[in-house]
Amino acid sequence: MITLYDYELSGNCYKIRLLLSILGIKYHSHTVEFYPAAEHKAPWFRQINPLGQLPVLQDDDYTLCDSQAIMVYLASRYDSGNSWYPRDDPQRLGSVSRWLAFADSITNSASSARLVEGFFYDFDAVACRAEAHRLFRILDEHLWFNAKSGHHWIVTGDSPTIADIACFPYIMLSEEGSISRQDYPAIRRWSDHVKRIPGFTVMPGIFPAGPAQ
Amino acid sequence: MTEQTLKTLDRARAARQWHPVATSDDLRMRHVYHGQILGRELAVWRADDGHVNVWENRCLHRGVRLSIGINDGHELACQYHGWRYANRTAGCTYIPAHPADAPARTICNNTYPATERYGLVWTGEAPEGTAPDAPELQHAGNHLLVLRSLPVNAPLHLTAGHLADYTFYRSDHTRPATQVSTHLRRAGEFQVAVDWTDENGTSALVFFLQPTDNHRTSVHAVLATSKPPDNPLQRLKDHNFAMSLLRDRIEQAARQHPTPAAFTVASPRVSEALATLPKLAATGRKAPLRVVVKSIRDVATEIKAFELISVDTQLPTFQPGAHIDVHLANAQVRQYSLTNAPGQTDRYIIAVKREADGNGGSAFLHQSVRVGDTLAISLPRNNFPLRRDAVNTLLIAGGIGITPLLAMAQTLKSADHPFHLHYFVQDQSHAAFPQLLSTFGTHISMHTGLSPEQTRTTLANTLEGYKPASHVYLCGPAAMLSAARDLAYRMNWPDEAIHFEFFKNTTDVTTDQAFTVELARSGLTLTVESGQTLLHTLRTNGVELPSSCEQGACGTCRVGVLDGEPLHQDVYLSDAEHQRNDCLMTCVSRARSEKLVLDI
Repeated sequence: MITLYDYELSGNCYKIRLLLSILGIKYHSHTVEFYPAAEHKAPWFRQINPLGQLPVLQDDDYTLCDSQAIMVYLASRYDSGNSWYPRDDPQRLGSVSRWLAFADSITNSASSARLVEGFFYDFDAVACRAEAHRLFRILDEHLWFNAKSGHHWIVTGDSPTIADIACFPYIMLSEEGSISRQDYPAIRRWSDHVKRIPGFTVMPGIFPAGPAQ
Repeated sequence: MTEQTLKTLDRARAARQWHPVATSDDLRMRHVYHGQILGRELAVWRADDGHVNVWENRCLHRGVRLSIGINDGHELACQYHGWRYANRTAGCTYIPAHPADAPARTICNNTYPATERYGLVWTGEAPEGTAPDAPELQHAGNHLLVLRSLPVNAPLHLTAGHLADYTFYRSDHTRPATQVSTHLRRAGEFQVAVDWTDENGTSALVFFLQPTDNHRTSVHAVLATSKPPDNPLQRLKDHNFAMSLLRDRIEQAARQHPTPAAFTVASPRVSEALATLPKLAATGRKAPLRVVVKSIRDVATEIKAFELISVDTQLPTFQPGAHIDVHLANAQVRQYSLTNAPGQTDRYIIAVKREADGNGGSAFLHQSVRVGDTLAISLPRNNFPLRRDAVNTLLIAGGIGITPLLAMAQTLKSADHPFHLHYFVQDQSHAAFPQLLSTFGTHISMHTGLSPEQTRTTLANTLEGYKPASHVYLCGPAAMLSAARDLAYRMNWPDEAIHFEFFKNTTDVTTDQAFTVELARSGLTLTVESGQTLLHTLRTNGVELPSSCEQGACGTCRVGVLDGEPLHQDVYLSDAEHQRNDCLMTCVSRARSEKLVLDI
């Protein structure tokens, strides 16, 4: 049985809920009140994850923290098609790692700006927003040229990878940190594709897409 | 440079010009593009028929951005409360909070003109003339390549100044990148053109500047080459790299100056009245629209389809179930349902059955109306609105009664809502629009050549087993409609789940008895003489009322009854509604009691 230590408004927890839903895996959600109770800093939770961060996944007696690491584990263990974490293709696998790191940078900028505005964190919001815009420009350019070559996803290939899921939530929630996505049309089109993946699910602040043609 | 940076945009003048807002490629199918011109945010989307819509980026209801909405190919739906707006007209077609009502025609978003040229989408607040020419791109035989557009956080004139000395690096697989300097051909306020010559001949690059806001600019660029580019993707990358470097320099330069204040843009006022359904406007039977018959085709034995297009303006929004009055040259007025699919907003399509025993309306349309003729028609009116929240929808049509149900079936199919269409016809050759019918696949059952008794049995089977949140829509000959309606009641379909539209009133309407009406709100007491209708009496006394069929079939002239017992004589209301005696049709209803008190 899989248990996810979960918080509904967390983009990092949403990454895991999204992948679990797409892979069709049943799980139990254990809510940890991030705000205002700060339960993720409570002693009982720090026994599970000393970093005091969400999400944490327990699969029987195996415990893992860090959203990108959890996605690597879930895709490697439960994706029978081997497409979400393409272990058989060294170049695509390398690219997945590169964009997982990029997703962490998005979390450190776009998500931080959202924490300032929505959860009263004390970060430099101006610097966070500037950094998020710099990253979004890079991703928009990457996706624009990928699309020109007929590829819809972040990592070149016919199907999406966990890199798409890793980048998706905090890009889509960026406006909650006053980061407009108006200047990133290729990102906006890519997000339509992500929303049309079978099994896609939403969270507060993220809307579904309409039907594809 | 200094002079140019001090120059500011003349917004009033720029509002009268066309500006690029996106590349044509940006408007992918089923996508909504988030655009902006002169500080005004725009929702830009392409419908499945290719039409480009440029709308104010706010839902009329609660002001939510429509650029996060859903483009289903025919309509744009707001993510907040699901208000749906039609392709082209931006008229509201459906309000989920009022599923049984037809939204008023006045609920219509702001639209802006749109055109496509040089691979770009152009728009403006009130643009004059046509989208601007770029002579470098007009040479016959030139190959055009639309580059990746770049948004720049800098004012337009500062950006334009930097583009004048554009250089780039030409990459090749075989040798190191070579720097190419260009020379300036022209530098206008919104266009900068440069050119160069290399071993591939002469190339020209035209930059089109989009005044996104007072302090933000988008640079669109179109490359024209005399030979087709050998490696288009590499050329796109070369210029993207050069333009990105240039953007860094422009933004750095912009930081040396105070940022100009963003434009303040007047948004259309969202009235509280729009949050609820406005009252019907009080008007008589009018025909304000002029349409031209674009095509006439036979779509079944004795049935012709007429495609009507507007002479000058956009045709108003319609909803599934809507009809129009067609005013004929022989002074007759006839009602025809629109058969259109959702989003098919560039024309109205009606189907007319030639009635052997009719009094001339259908014969006139069949014999005398030709392609190219102008017809006077009313605004579309909807007394047969389609709910889009049903768990299941049954559509039951007899003969030419198929027409409003075709519009409904196409709407439900496009939204992937469950429905089934039962179509009763004399024989297969009488089934209208066979091609369209075939697209409904397993959602349609044809019932051909049934006797009245067989029809009854089939209807009974069809209506059996009512489930909550199902709705049935009926349209066809009076006998079949009454039978179906009675069966539905008997099988426990609730009143509000049975929707029907008669296309004529076959009951004998009497005008023998004179009676008195008191108009509670107008303070008038009038006598309706024998031989006169209540509607006529009201109008001659200055009380304006909308009307359409004027034979008790369409429901347009309905008014509330506060006291007295009406003699209904209409076929629009159900038996239960007749028994409530709380409304009547002014065109045919009279009084059983001496006096009626009406809520007008």
